[in-house]
Parts: sequence; structure tokens; C-alpha cells
Amino acid sequence: MNISKVKDIFIKELSVEFRQRFAVGGIFLFAATVVFLIYKSFNDINPREWTILLWIIMLFAGLNAVVKSFLQERRETYLYYYTLFDPIDLIVAKLMYNFVFLTSLFVIIIAIMSVFAGFPVKSLGLFVTGSLVGILGIAIVFTFVSVISATEGGNSTLMSILALPLVLPIVLLLLKISAVSVRLMTDTSIGQDIWMLVSIDSILLGAMILLFPSLWRS
Amino acid sequence: MNIKGWWWKILGVLIYLYVIIGGLTVPLKPGVLKVDPASANTGTKLELNITGYNTHFSDATENKAWLKTDSGHSIKARDIHIVDDMHAQLIFELPEVLPPGEKVQPLTLIMDNEKDGAFVQPNAIFVKAKENTTSGTEGWDEADFGHIHTADGIAFPYRNILHETIRNTFFHVALWFAMFIMLIVGLVYAVRYLRTHDYSYDIKSSAYNKTGILFGILGLATGSIWARFTWNTFWTGDVKLNMTAVTLLIYLAYLVLRGASSDTDKKAKISSAYTIFAFVAMIPLLFIIPRMTDSLHPGNGGNPALGGEDLDNTLRMFFYPAILGLSLIGVWISTLVIRYEMLKERLFQNQK
Repeated sequence: MNISKVKDIFIKELSVEFRQRFAVGGIFLFAATVVFLIYKSFNDINPREWTILLWIIMLFAGLNAVVKSFLQERRETYLYYYTLFDPIDLIVAKLMYNFVFLTSLFVIIIAIMSVFAGFPVKSLGLFVTGSLVGILGIAIVFTFVSVISATEGGNSTLMSILALPLVLPIVLLLLKISAVSVRLMTDTSIGQDIWMLVSIDSILLGAMILLFPSLWRS
Repeated sequence: MNIKGWWWKILGVLIYLYVIIGGLTVPLKPGVLKVDPASANTGTKLELNITGYNTHFSDATENKAWLKTDSGHSIKARDIHIVDDMHAQLIFELPEVLPPGEKVQPLTLIMDNEKDGAFVQPNAIFVKAKENTTSGTEGWDEADFGHIHTADGIAFPYRNILHETIRNTFFHVALWFAMFIMLIVGLVYAVRYLRTHDYSYDIKSSAYNKTGILFGILGLATGSIWARFTWNTFWTGDVKLNMTAVTLLIYLAYLVLRGASSDTDKKAKISSAYTIFAFVAMIPLLFIIPRMTDSLHPGNGGNPALGGEDLDNTLRMFFYPAILGLSLIGVWISTLVIRYEMLKERLFQNQK
């Protein structure tokens, strides 16, 4: 793995993203609209609904966002990448980029939700660590699945069919961690759940790094 | 037709027939269905009405019964009135005091006769000590039951709540084992495909995965029926159920993935990669998360697992063959799918 090449791809992704500002804007608009819609229909959002809403919006907005990262490029560009980079560099850079993107999306969704529905989190440390580890897991699954659907010729329906079941265990754990951090329930062994997320992340990451080079060749 | 290649198919079917016939016809051991009343006071005469299950009270001549405390003291029934095979009334003289321990103590009922052998009902009755009495052992014997009979023939253990549904062990539990074997074979072929790019490995991998999914769905169905009779509902919020549902969704997405692609080479590569990813994602779902949370299933949240008293030798006589038989049948189903797919592929090649 070559750190400077990873950095190059990462910066390139970021600048491409900023050049197409309407796409990023669209995703944030999606998040804002959904939050507003639900706020208007519920009027008062209690902490339980808040956590569920947060992760559902996160999931769908994130899915939309990541689909682009592999699909926006054409086959020729891939061929060009293939001559330039090691596949592991490419996948790590894509993953890092998706992670950063999903995290900023998360922060923005939280900001919009705080305006409309308040911010009920009581244990901030738990919430932040749990969410970051979970978002990393979501980023890994989404990146892997977007690779698959890109080799399938950019089929975004396939992406959501494959990604949602794979991401379900992570989201279930995240919902539990969020529920604890807004004090809906108490759980003294919540640390175990965070370790579980970490282990799921590392297993999935290992599988992805092992499998990507063979998928990549097509 | 060569018989040599057939023997394992016949073996699989014969083993599974043995499991079905034996597993459904071997009787349960005798047990106690109901004990009435559920509590009593010390120093009274206790008339305990017993409803037995698979018992032979009236055929037997040497009916005996004891009540035993957790501290190892017991009293013997003074008199036993047999109503019929399934019903009996036991008369106990409860002593004035309870052995040292709690104020209210659960007593275990032990019954014995030469037809049924000895059988035990834990916590059959709760005995409450009278106010202002000290504990002592007057009136209680050391628990020593002398000669206890053992029943002839084989029978499955009698468990409260489970009753006759204990036979589902051979079907429900064995299905999960067989599913796992099928998915492991599917994984191995997926890895071999990615190494060699030999298309036949991909067909094999997908066939074993499909059989695994079939067994998974059947496992869920048998479990659901079992849950109806033991937990009184088809579906509970139990972690293991929900994680299994997620696993099945992941594998069903695999089928969608295979259906979505038309280019065989690409399809093979992608679905092999997805198989590995799905298998890896399944391990925490089925083996780690359920062990960390409370579950109604055995082996989770501190419940006993297979082993100990719950899987005794009579159950083992059918349980292990059930796994073997189902796996052989699963391999058979998979080879049929493989042959079908291979033929389809050859037809496709000829058309071109």
C-alpha cells in the first residue's frame, strides 16, 4: 500500500465532489426535506423516534451518496486507473473518502434534526464513538457493494438490494447504542456492543480487501 | 446406471427414514404433567394429586414416592392411592419444621415403580414453614431411596414445556447443521472459483448455496412451529430468530444478484465474491451476537446448550444420524441442480 497514492486518489475524489456541487446539495436537500416532513407530521419527535429517524435518513441518504462514487466514472477511466494504481490503494482511498463523506453527512443530518427536533443525546462520548465505528462499517459495506454493482454496469437497484441486508446488523447495533445514549434504556455492557461493531468492521474490511483485487480485474 | 455412485444417496435416504420413523415412534419417558396443590404448610397432612404422562401406575405393584429438599433431606409418601394409569393421590405427613434454609422451600417429587422406572419433577411443590419455628431436621430422612428401578427399552427424555415436541430436535436443529455444511461447501467452491476461474466451480458454489438457503427456510419454519407449542407464538423478538432472518435476507439477495446478471463470466465472479462476503457477515450474526444477548434458545444467555441432560444418549441415537442423513440428501439435491445447470450451459453453448 502506498500512502501518497491513497492520498492522491482521496484528494481527487474530494475535488470531483466539490466540482459537482449539485449532487452533494441534492443529498443534503433530501435529508432536510425528510426531516422537515417527519417533523411536520409528528409535530413532536420523542427520543425513540429521533434515533430511528436519524439512522433511517442516514441509511438512505448514504446509499444515494455512495452509489455515485463508483458509478459516476466511466469504463475508460477505470482502465486508466488500472494502469496507474494498485487495487488496494484504490479501494482504501475510496473507503476513506466514503467514510469522510458519510461522517459529514451524519453531522449535517444531526444539525438539521437539532433545529427541528432537538438533540436528546445524553451520553455524548458513547454516541460519537458508537456512531463513528458504525458509519465506518456502513461505509465498508456500501463501498464493497458499489464495486459489485459497478462491475454489473452501474445497476443502482442492485446496489440497494445487496447493501440493505448486509448493513442491517450494523444498523441494529447502532440503534441500540443510540437508544442507550439518549437514555431510553440502560445497559452496563454497552461497551461490548461497540467492540462487536469494531469486530464486524474489521471482518468486513478484511473480506473486502481480499476480494477487491479479483473483482477489479474485470 | 452404476450402483457404485449411488450408495451414498440410498444411505442418506435410509438414514433419514430411520430418523423420521424412529424419531416419531419412540415413546417419551414417563413424567409428571401436573401436581396439585402447588404449595403447602409444614405440620399438615398433604394430599398430592398427580397427573402423570406415559405412566403405568395401576399396572405397577411397587409404587413409591418421595419429596426431597434441596439440602438433601426427604420424606416418603405414607400412602399412595392409584386412580388409574395416569392419576394417583400421594399422602404425605409434612414434618413440623423445615431443614435449615429458606422459609419457603421447593420440594422435588421423585416417583418410582417397576414399570416406569424412577422419574423426577423438580420444584413440584413449595412448602412454607410456620411462623416462629426454628429449622431442624426432625421428621426428615437423609435422602436415600434404596433400590430404584430403571425402565427397560429406549425412550426420549421427558421435559417440562417441551413434552412431545422434543422430537423436533431431529428436524429443526439438524436442519441448521445441514444448512451450515451446505453453505461451507458453497463457500469453498466460491474460493476455488476465484482462484481458478473454472466456471463449473461457480455452478457448484451456487447449487450448494441454494440448498443451504432451502434448509435455512425449512429450519425457520420448523422452529416457528416449535415456538408455537413451547413459547406460544410463531415469532418472538428473540435475537437468534431476528439474526437468522437477516442472514436469510443476505443470502436471498445473493439469489437476486445471480438473477440480475446475464454475462456468465461476470456473474460467476461477482456472486463468488458476494458468497464470501455474505458468509463472513453471517458468522457474527449467528454465532457471536446471540451468545452475547439473552435468548430463549438453548446455549444463549446462560441457558444450557446441547449436552448435559438435555441431549441424552437416546436423542443422540437419532440426532447425529439426522445431521448426516440431511447432509447427504442436501448433497444429492445440489448435484441434481449442478447437473441441470451444466446441461443448460451445454445447450446454450450448442445454440451458439
